[in-house]
Amino acid sequence: MALDGLIILDTTGRPIVQSGFHSFPPAYPLLHIDAVNTALASAKRPSDVDPVIYVQGLNLESPSACCHMKRGELRYLCPVSGDVDPLYAFAFLQTFVDILHEYFGHLSAETLKDNFDIVYQLLEETLDSGGHPLTTSPNALRDIVLPPSLLHKVLSVAGVSGLASSTATSHPFASPIPWRKAGVRYNNNEIYFDVVETLEAIVNKNGTPAVSTVWGRVDSNCKLSGTPDLLLTFSNAQSLLDCSFHPCVRLQRWSRDKVLSFVPPDGKFKLMDYRYAPATASAVAQTSIPFMLRPTVQIDEHGGSVDLTLSSRLTTRSMENVFVELYLGDGASGASCTASHGASWSYSPKTQTLVWELKQIVPSANYNIRGTFSSTAEHPRPSRAFRVRFEVPQYNYSAIKIEQLKLTGEVYKPYKGMRGSSLGNIEWRW
Amino acid sequence: MAALNLNVLTENAVRLGARLQETLSEQTRDLSLRASGSAYLDNPEEKVKNIRKQLDSNSDREKLEAMKRLLALVSKGRNVSEFFAQVVKNVASHNLEIRKLVYIYLLRYAEQEPDLALLSINTFQKDLSDPNPLIRAMALRVLSGIQVPMIGSIVMLAIKKCAADISPYVRKAAALAIPKLYHLDSTHQPELIKIISTLLKDQSPLSLGSVAIAFEAVCPTRLDLLHQHYRRLCRTLIDMDEWGQVDLINLLIRYARVMLPRPIPATAAGSSLSFDVDSDLKLLITSAEPLLQSNNPAVVLAVARVIYYLAPQNELPKIVPPLLRLLHVSPEVERIVLTNLAITSSALTDVLAKSYIAFLVRADDPQRVKKDKVRLLRAVVNPENYPSLLREFICYADDADDELVADSIQAIGYIARVIPESTQQCLTALMSFIQSKHDVIVANAVLVLKSLVQIRLQQQQDAIAYGALPSTFSPLEIISRLARRLDEIRHPKARACVMWLVGQYAASSAAPDNSNGLTHAGPEGIAPWAPDVLRKTAKSFTQEAPAVKLQIITLAAKLLVLSPADRTIGLLNRYVFSLARYDLNYDVRDRGRMLSALLAGVAPNVLGDSDDMHEDVGGVVLRREQVRLVLFEGKSSAAEEPAATNGTLHSPFAHDDHGRFGSLAAVTGKWAGSDNYLPDWLEEGTESSLRDTEADVPQPPVLTAQSSAARSISSNSARPTPIVLTPTGGGASPAGSFSRQQEGAKAAYMDLDRFYEDTEETEETEESESEESEEDDGDDDGSHQAESSGEESDSDEDESEVEHLQGTAR
Repeated sequence: MALDGLIILDTTGRPIVQSGFHSFPPAYPLLHIDAVNTALASAKRPSDVDPVIYVQGLNLESPSACCHMKRGELRYLCPVSGDVDPLYAFAFLQTFVDILHEYFGHLSAETLKDNFDIVYQLLEETLDSGGHPLTTSPNALRDIVLPPSLLHKVLSVAGVSGLASSTATSHPFASPIPWRKAGVRYNNNEIYFDVVETLEAIVNKNGTPAVSTVWGRVDSNCKLSGTPDLLLTFSNAQSLLDCSFHPCVRLQRWSRDKVLSFVPPDGKFKLMDYRYAPATASAVAQTSIPFMLRPTVQIDEHGGSVDLTLSSRLTTRSMENVFVELYLGDGASGASCTASHGASWSYSPKTQTLVWELKQIVPSANYNIRGTFSSTAEHPRPSRAFRVRFEVPQYNYSAIKIEQLKLTGEVYKPYKGMRGSSLGNIEWRW
Repeated sequence: MAALNLNVLTENAVRLGARLQETLSEQTRDLSLRASGSAYLDNPEEKVKNIRKQLDSNSDREKLEAMKRLLALVSKGRNVSEFFAQVVKNVASHNLEIRKLVYIYLLRYAEQEPDLALLSINTFQKDLSDPNPLIRAMALRVLSGIQVPMIGSIVMLAIKKCAADISPYVRKAAALAIPKLYHLDSTHQPELIKIISTLLKDQSPLSLGSVAIAFEAVCPTRLDLLHQHYRRLCRTLIDMDEWGQVDLINLLIRYARVMLPRPIPATAAGSSLSFDVDSDLKLLITSAEPLLQSNNPAVVLAVARVIYYLAPQNELPKIVPPLLRLLHVSPEVERIVLTNLAITSSALTDVLAKSYIAFLVRADDPQRVKKDKVRLLRAVVNPENYPSLLREFICYADDADDELVADSIQAIGYIARVIPESTQQCLTALMSFIQSKHDVIVANAVLVLKSLVQIRLQQQQDAIAYGALPSTFSPLEIISRLARRLDEIRHPKARACVMWLVGQYAASSAAPDNSNGLTHAGPEGIAPWAPDVLRKTAKSFTQEAPAVKLQIITLAAKLLVLSPADRTIGLLNRYVFSLARYDLNYDVRDRGRMLSALLAGVAPNVLGDSDDMHEDVGGVVLRREQVRLVLFEGKSSAAEEPAATNGTLHSPFAHDDHGRFGSLAAVTGKWAGSDNYLPDWLEEGTESSLRDTEADVPQPPVLTAQSSAARSISSNSARPTPIVLTPTGGGASPAGSFSRQQEGAKAAYMDLDRFYEDTEETEETEESESEESEEDDGDDDGSHQAESSGEESDSDEDESEVEHLQGTAR
């Protein structure tokens, strides 16, 4: 009962990196790769493929399953055998992807190939051959496996790499706190918080929201020396519900006082997730949708017409990178539209989706797109809803603020910075 | 530290300068920034040959490059075990970087080349005393990876040594090596168990999770070993790493099920508000509960398992908000959590009903997610929320995904059944679907309507007191509407369905008041629309699907029985039956022959004139009343089968929920090994004093304060890592605890009745709920149990007719 290994597939479905699979026949990983590729090929939409695929093993006694997920352009596979909670596999995959991100930034087949030796080291350190995660805390890992750096590369080319690495790895696991490196020093002690909030909503045909929830996350980048013990107070902590925290946060303290008390890891990490529930008197406290969409969709034989008007409800800020998408249904063959304000639209024959893209929506202006689409189906059946995605930079639905950041355990005074941004992912039914 | 770094940097820089000058001339092309990477990946063959030489060279740089080339070959899937001998030599290299790469290589190939690995076993053993914990752990991992039974005892020694290491990381590696050795040679079990129980005393939370893994692998039944450590394990849970938390929680759940008493309602009266919870059980629950706020979804689900399987009923709602939160983590997590929520839906209906908006289906959800969401929405329907849920389902019927359409229309039928006051609205919705241009919608709507009509007629029959039947949508009104729209219903199954309805209830419309109903004892006559349906379909008979043809002739036969004197019907019958006789499909021919034989006594002049078939056959000629009985009564009471019992067929797990929540089997729907099997509670747990340790006795387990204290210690001060072996009270005596366990088991036996009562109560409710939802996924209509064990309701009908025929004939 364990994770059998890890495989990374490139865009064409071929493996780039795979772990050992020591105790399995050589065909075992291939079986899983095939299962995933077959499922992907036969699915109408790639997202329809079940993330857990049952794979009948080579012998009947050992059924296994393949948990897979796509992040960026790569697909990560984790075959499991025995009755493992699939979430265990997915949590591990996600952790591994995060680690790779941390090491290499943008992930692509190219970056992995460039740094395959590091990838292999990471793989060995994070997953034991018995199938259990070993070290996954980025801070501890950085002690064991050196991240790629320019200096390191130059040194290794020059052949003196042993010197470069020996300093950092001579005392791995020396830190008393598993998630924090020991002996960190910075000249400027600073810590940054990025608050990203996503509004997820479904709007009914009559324009009233059926559900609208704000999910937020606080990412942090910590550059503090020594072992700082932080106490972070939010201005409106009471309206943050359903929270989840980085392991460094003292949970008791939060449940008692609604303050975050923690010794942060070094570098970037996700501090917390939360759901924002506006503190209003009404029972159904929902965040309002920051725009208004007036859709008219007419469906005729072998086609139809679309007329959309979008206007912002925000009074001061503008929305950016707004995408309005409509799946035109099986058999859709093309579309032609005109969009106001020089906005662009496109039709993707592959996904049969009409996309209207607006770079910026200023307050109190109406944007319109109208056009027709054609279909080979006699009665086209487009999706019953528009999907709208947008960004509002420098803004938070919850207006969350850091009230105070107290530091104990060290003598310096840290600089703290906070930045907010908001996203939206809204389904608008017509 | 900074100064040190600087020193090193300058030193490096100096050496770099010197080195660069030496090598620059020959190496300039390597100095591109990509040099460390993909350059190695395109290995021409001569370079591969070169590797051997490079590995043997004296220069670290050469070796490093060779190792990278090797790994590049590995990543391309090439077997490079031929270099094993050369690589092994480098394991003693002074360069840490090389050494790490060598170990990575060894970890891969030690199992394939055990003989060569054996040659260098001394090096590994030496490395077990390396000052660097990383190397020690690596050496142990390689050693335990060499799958040669011969070296079992050497590995044993290595594990023993590492289990007492000062670095928790190495101890963790030792714990992880235990299952491998056990797998290799199970005769070491007693010694391994000893090591495990030493490791259980470990004060560092880092290694405990791996110890739990070792425990599960080596001695899963020796839960008695845990007595002494149980409380400490519970308390350190919060300080462990996330993976360890999951593994340990799973072990502790099993321990609690076997060793601790189940929570029982405190008052016999059954006010479910307070429960008698054993203090040790409470300790586990309360120390796990904060972890519901973990970042790691696997931990959250593991804790949810603790509460779902161990906590008293009234605490179950706690798991809902964290699980709902997980729905937003990622699509994959969403899909799995939804499936698990569906399992809990029977136990938690009320709580889930309050937050049903979390399950509203988005048009761009993946298929599986849509299915599970509809299942959950169905499960939470109640008299308060049905209007909004009904609106949702109606909305989903427009979806572009056929499965969602089918599911949601069936859900509407389900609402109509369980919430009587909603029937009117549901029928309106379903009737409007029939006018849709899309086959799927129409077909599903018809199927659902059919089952609703049957239920309604049944109810009419059962209780005429149902006086408040809405007149617009009396069942017969529905049938007549369906009949009128027959031209637009193209889906064969739906068409067949409508025709069956028309035939079955053609008679009763003439006398709707005379509703001892299905015996059709009312006056003769046929509803005005029925013959017209026959006329239309007879015209298109040749183009119909076989299922529809079967129903056309059945309809013809029924009408003829109802009104044998009518000349038009007679002619239509003759036409239809002669078409059926020469049909390509043998089912149709069979049915035609059977029905015409049946009808021989009713209207001989209609069918018999061209043929002398029935004379050949001989046998009994049925009278009209008999034929009528055969045709109409075949399955009259089929509709009202309770929807519950059948679902077990779909799910092999419905009977025992032993650990189904949070398992792989629940997600794939297939058996996945029985690892997660959870034993049932013992009636009385084991003596709690077993779990007393010396450390415990003075201080009662005040858990919250303690674990927070533990946490602040662990994070504030630089804690000394070396192991401090806590004096445990002389080790648990397994024998003693065993006898206790048996006592517990015995007690459970003596009170077997109560024991069963309890379990059955809880399980039954769970079953019926999940069954209902599952069963509807598969069947074409929910209520139509007895007849629709598969999909072809017609063929079943056929059988029952035949049975009747035989019965009557005899």
